[in-house]
Amino acid sequence: MDSHRVSGNAATATLLFALSLLVCWLAARDFMKMWRDDVLVPLPEYRRIMLSDYLPKLAGTPVDTPVFIQDSGRPGAAVMVLGGTHPNEPSSFLSAVVLLENARVEAGRLIVVPFAMHAGFRHNFPQEASPSFLHFTLPDGSERVFRYGSRDMQHILMWPGPDIYKHKPSGQELSGNENKNLNRSYPGDPNGTLAEQLGFAIMELIRRENVDLAFDLHEASPEYPVIDAIVAHERSMELAAAVAMELKGMDIEIRLEPSPKNLRGLSHREWGDGTDTLPILMETANPSQGRLRGRTDEALALTGKDKAYAKARDMGNLFIPYSNGDQPVALRVARHLTAIRLFLEMLGLFHEGKDIVVEGIPHYEDMIAKGVGYYLKPLPID
Amino acid sequence: MTLDWFWPEGFYASMMILAFALGAFALKLPIAVAMSGGAVLGAILAGEGIPVRHLVEGMFGYIDTILIIATAMIFMKTVQAIGLMESIAAWGIRRFRNYPVLLSIGVTLLIMFPGMLTGSSTACCLTTGALVAPVLMHLGVPRVKTGALIAIAALLGMIAPPINIPVMIIGGGIDMPYVGFAVPLLAATMPLAVFAALLLAWPSLRRREGQNDEALEKELARMSSVPLTWRLCTPFAVLVVLMAGEQFMPQYFPFLGMPLQFLIASASAVFTGRRWNVLASATEAIDDALPVLGILMGVGMFIQVMTLNGVRGFVVISALSIPEWALYLSIAVSIPAFGAISSFGAASVLGVPFMFALLAKDQIITATALALIASLGDLVPPTALAGIFAGQVVGEKNYFKILKVCVVPAVAIALWGIAFIAYAGPLASWLRWV
Repeated sequence: MDSHRVSGNAATATLLFALSLLVCWLAARDFMKMWRDDVLVPLPEYRRIMLSDYLPKLAGTPVDTPVFIQDSGRPGAAVMVLGGTHPNEPSSFLSAVVLLENARVEAGRLIVVPFAMHAGFRHNFPQEASPSFLHFTLPDGSERVFRYGSRDMQHILMWPGPDIYKHKPSGQELSGNENKNLNRSYPGDPNGTLAEQLGFAIMELIRRENVDLAFDLHEASPEYPVIDAIVAHERSMELAAAVAMELKGMDIEIRLEPSPKNLRGLSHREWGDGTDTLPILMETANPSQGRLRGRTDEALALTGKDKAYAKARDMGNLFIPYSNGDQPVALRVARHLTAIRLFLEMLGLFHEGKDIVVEGIPHYEDMIAKGVGYYLKPLPID
Repeated sequence: MTLDWFWPEGFYASMMILAFALGAFALKLPIAVAMSGGAVLGAILAGEGIPVRHLVEGMFGYIDTILIIATAMIFMKTVQAIGLMESIAAWGIRRFRNYPVLLSIGVTLLIMFPGMLTGSSTACCLTTGALVAPVLMHLGVPRVKTGALIAIAALLGMIAPPINIPVMIIGGGIDMPYVGFAVPLLAATMPLAVFAALLLAWPSLRRREGQNDEALEKELARMSSVPLTWRLCTPFAVLVVLMAGEQFMPQYFPFLGMPLQFLIASASAVFTGRRWNVLASATEAIDDALPVLGILMGVGMFIQVMTLNGVRGFVVISALSIPEWALYLSIAVSIPAFGAISSFGAASVLGVPFMFALLAKDQIITATALALIASLGDLVPPTALAGIFAGQVVGEKNYFKILKVCVVPAVAIALWGIAFIAYAGPLASWLRWV
């Protein structure tokens, strides 16, 4: 294929250089908007610390992230909810934020990490055309904004990346980009890569806070078989099975999957093997991260409404009903929160002395009817 | 296809392709500029204006590939400049000219080697591909057939074990660890490598067997004016040590990334061979690579806008919606076709959905086959990385001539891959037994 070879001169070179600077400036302005942290309005009962308290070398790095602890002062279980492991899975961090702004602990302790992969909220993944921000309208008419980030840590922090990622300590080989994936980094390494340090710090948090039950909240594509699912380590399976039955009793379809023993680096495997906690990973269906999706924008992330997925449903390619041709974020958050509430209610039944009482978690029907914005608090005026 | 399904994404797709074709063929704009034009039009039609953020972000999808290509090109120009390429070619011709079968297959495996370690077809073309190209051409293999052999061997090297990135991408999409793939990947690639060697190189080499060509001897003497010594091979040795060390002894070798490895290997050339002008070589390398780097940037914008306006989903679902009896045909056509944008992208965007559609079959064999078919994307224009770089190393400006010769082995690769999927169960049992 021949093409013209256009010769330039000093003037055209200067013009093109100026144009490229303009493009860089315009793009950088948009990219840098994502460097500002989302504002949270936690209940005053929460104490805010940083993850670097569990691995001091993370202090001041972009991966350090806030950890909120609410201690009722009454004996009971310690439960951790980790949101935002993958910042392109909004129901994960939104569920954690709703807990942070609504849940009151009456017995036991609740630990909430809303943005586990803090450095993944600072960018979008190239060629995914993801929206950068999600907007929610509150009952008072004000607006809250959250970033929609990337599955992986900001690439510049771990660049260049290897072609092959070897998981420590198993030696399991994965595609190179998985080295920036928090949920392939566990049990982590205090002297390893930034992602491995982050994984290690979260494991340390679980160990030092004696976390009895730990959730890692996720979303997945509707065409992925492990969807609308609970994945449980063998020690969590009995409790998870009871919760799954309760959910089915509420007409909430849920799959229960055992944590594969040969798939290493994931929270549901390594948290269970490396600490005393009962690990639970949960998945809801997010069309905006799927490979079959059509137009990609904020509306898709919030409503899940997509004609490409509707066609995929008709072709039998989906693992969710998708009967209304949508998958609103309120439904996805409601699924996570309802499952968490049931886990908390049933924990003491299966593990004596490990009761925890948490009030204020929105109910399934209420969340679907009122939407996520209803449960977010207005930003303080200053 | 109903109008409801076609509108508006099908319309956007048609207009983007039309704008690209108009720019590339009618206005004879550089491919990169034509791709960018198609992307911008797709965004405008979808009501997104000129989304600078998306256009720049799309380009960043190829930042690593761009740096690897630029530095690999510098490496190639450097080893040419110090006289290593010609010297080693002369040695190879003298040593193996009377063993055409051995030479054909050995050369093919040699071309594959860097891809086996790095998972990159570009690495094959620009390192060992560049090394064997003069050998083959001096021994009478036509320029385009030499280029075709390099391109096909580069694809097979990218798929052969131990490193296969498309399989890892597909495996990542279905939570399948990269374990147990070595034998299936060898079975998928080695017969095809022998086939390509015997088809493309052996007939020409056989015709020259035993001939005492005076002109060739003269040429060999000129080519080996810089004597082939171990010291002269320093740049290649440094590159192999850095790449292999990182893979097999990561505790001793820091991860540098391929671009830095190529630059270090190039720098080591100052200690050996003919003196050369570093700046001139580097400038020439970047000048040669620039059109391809531009294409990758254009493709990056194109794919980002395709995702933004829904064309990507339209293409993927249309490929999956083909009736079951035509599924194999759809795999054989749509995955390489999507590879026109990126073979790794095809493995992710189409390979994973097809994998889900084929979950009833043996997953290791199926993923192996899909990866093999995805490799063909590196032969499909406008990116056609293997074709373009094979063209560059053999000095063929019109890489379409090379792609034409690649058609037969490429069809063989597609059929071999489809056969793997069709007989995945029995094949898995047999390979386990072997």
